[in-house]
Amino acid sequence: MSIKRGQKVPGSKAPLSLRIYNHRWFYVMFAPVLVFIALFNYLPMYFIKYAFYDYKMAQEPVFVGLKHFEKLLKKQDFIRAFVNTFELSIVKLLLNTFMAVIISLLLNEIKNLQAKKAVQTLIYLPHFMSWVVTASVFRLILSPSNEGLVNSFLVNLGVINKDQMIYFLAEEKWWRPVYYIVNIWKDTGWGTIIYLATLSGISPDLYEAAQIDGANRWNQMLFITLPSLANTIIVVLILNLAKIMNLFESVFVMYNSAVYKTSDVIQTFVYRQTFGGGIPNYGFTTAVGLMKSVVGCILVLVCNYASKKVRGRGIV
Amino acid sequence: MNSKKKAKKIKLFPIFNGLLFFMICLFIIVPLWKVFVDSIDLQTSYGMRLWPKEFGLVGYKVILTYESLYKPFLISCITTIAGTFLGLTLSTLGAYVLIQYEMPGRNIFSFLLLFTMIFEGGMVPSFLVMSKLGLTDTLFAVILPLGINVYNLVLMRNFFEGIPKGLFEAASIDGCSPMGTFFKIVLPLSKAALASIGLMFSVTFWNDYTNFKIYIQKSSLYNFQQKLRNLIMDGDTPNTSEHISQNTMFSAAVMVAILPFMIIYPFCQKYFVKGVNIGAIKE
Repeated sequence: MSIKRGQKVPGSKAPLSLRIYNHRWFYVMFAPVLVFIALFNYLPMYFIKYAFYDYKMAQEPVFVGLKHFEKLLKKQDFIRAFVNTFELSIVKLLLNTFMAVIISLLLNEIKNLQAKKAVQTLIYLPHFMSWVVTASVFRLILSPSNEGLVNSFLVNLGVINKDQMIYFLAEEKWWRPVYYIVNIWKDTGWGTIIYLATLSGISPDLYEAAQIDGANRWNQMLFITLPSLANTIIVVLILNLAKIMNLFESVFVMYNSAVYKTSDVIQTFVYRQTFGGGIPNYGFTTAVGLMKSVVGCILVLVCNYASKKVRGRGIV
Repeated sequence: MNSKKKAKKIKLFPIFNGLLFFMICLFIIVPLWKVFVDSIDLQTSYGMRLWPKEFGLVGYKVILTYESLYKPFLISCITTIAGTFLGLTLSTLGAYVLIQYEMPGRNIFSFLLLFTMIFEGGMVPSFLVMSKLGLTDTLFAVILPLGINVYNLVLMRNFFEGIPKGLFEAASIDGCSPMGTFFKIVLPLSKAALASIGLMFSVTFWNDYTNFKIYIQKSSLYNFQQKLRNLIMDGDTPNTSEHISQNTMFSAAVMVAILPFMIIYPFCQKYFVKGVNIGAIKE
């Protein structure tokens, strides 16, 4: 705020040109940010026009109208990927939230501060490991040979025989449960941070008053803790619902061609169509991506509206 | 009778809770522990063993002397350092400008940033932009697009909003330019935010796999994540004269990828949590 001596304080009443002149250095400082979003966020939006073209790298784009959209709505693989995206994201989100709430409630009951800190440090850890590392770790322990921890364990328990090792990551009926469990392993701990912050914000007076009224611990949880948490839970769910179309890396590093039926999501479908070999038709894959972006945009706006209703403040 | 029962219940719960958390911790740690044990165990047929039978570091020796892992490691270091620096620069600059409430056009700038959270071009148009700019197969393609993170920028802005306005006024009365105020007052007061957001950026860049997968085809520019993935999933294994099993080698590679972070993690964990809580105050 460069105010020269003797000059009027530039409030909203000062003339626009003076206000702009006074803020000139701020525009300079913001310029790099603008350049970055123009290049990497807005220019791709302009390139969405190729969704209406046939476009293969070496050739000139040919305008084809809505051809790609007609094609993809008839394409079984696309429909499957679309449904899978919703199913995987939503089940994952609900499971992770449920587990995070339960763990926060129980963690809040640990009275030994050092033990609590230690547990927290440990359960946050997997959040910082990349999906590649996570997938590698689980591939090693789920390996369908007698080197894999889980299969050996099942053999020792007598659940399965030595010659019936389970291919957890390559069997349609196992892939999804494994995916959900890996997600719980990786992100539940991190999800507890926000609930623990809410829990530590609940006034102790409430509990005291409840105790005087004869409420036991269970009642206190039911009538004080949970209602206080409910708002946070709803907000977290709304914020995350807006992102459900963006599922990519976690699936990409864990799936393989044997389980496309239960694991393929829109982003992995786009990736395979574009970079999976052969000459890609960028027009078609742009159209698939556009469908995803539009649905994602609608979801964000709906969630934003819901968020405004719930907490009086939107997401964006 | 009734009061006796109650007293017993209250005593039982902490034990139950303790046991439960013991199991939760086991659930988190056992997969990692198992990989660690396998990485230092020279006996094959590992099975359920949670302690090495024949201790040896040959797995690490093979991985650390595997030449095609040096360069990916270096690439990861370069992109992480450059990316974190870029990310911090852009988010502090952007956040500082967005708290200038009197600035004409501030709302437009906010909107331009937030709109990118609502709608995006998608994977293929982004790839086309990169290839038309001639950035594919260069490290710029994996550093630049992650440099702007609107969520981190908003966290930063929330933090800056907490700085008393009086300080800005005092600085400008003393003749400090906007840039001077930024460097001499805002940044020194925001060390905690810089640390936490810088850490978030560095984790993002260190763990990046998707951008490399999309924009980088040249194997000489692979980062460590990509190399690790190729090693374990596609059996792109080093030739070695040592007699060790693939499992030992893979486990050692995974440990090399996470050990550096696991060593510094306990020291910087509080900054991560602080970063999340800066967001939570306003969110």
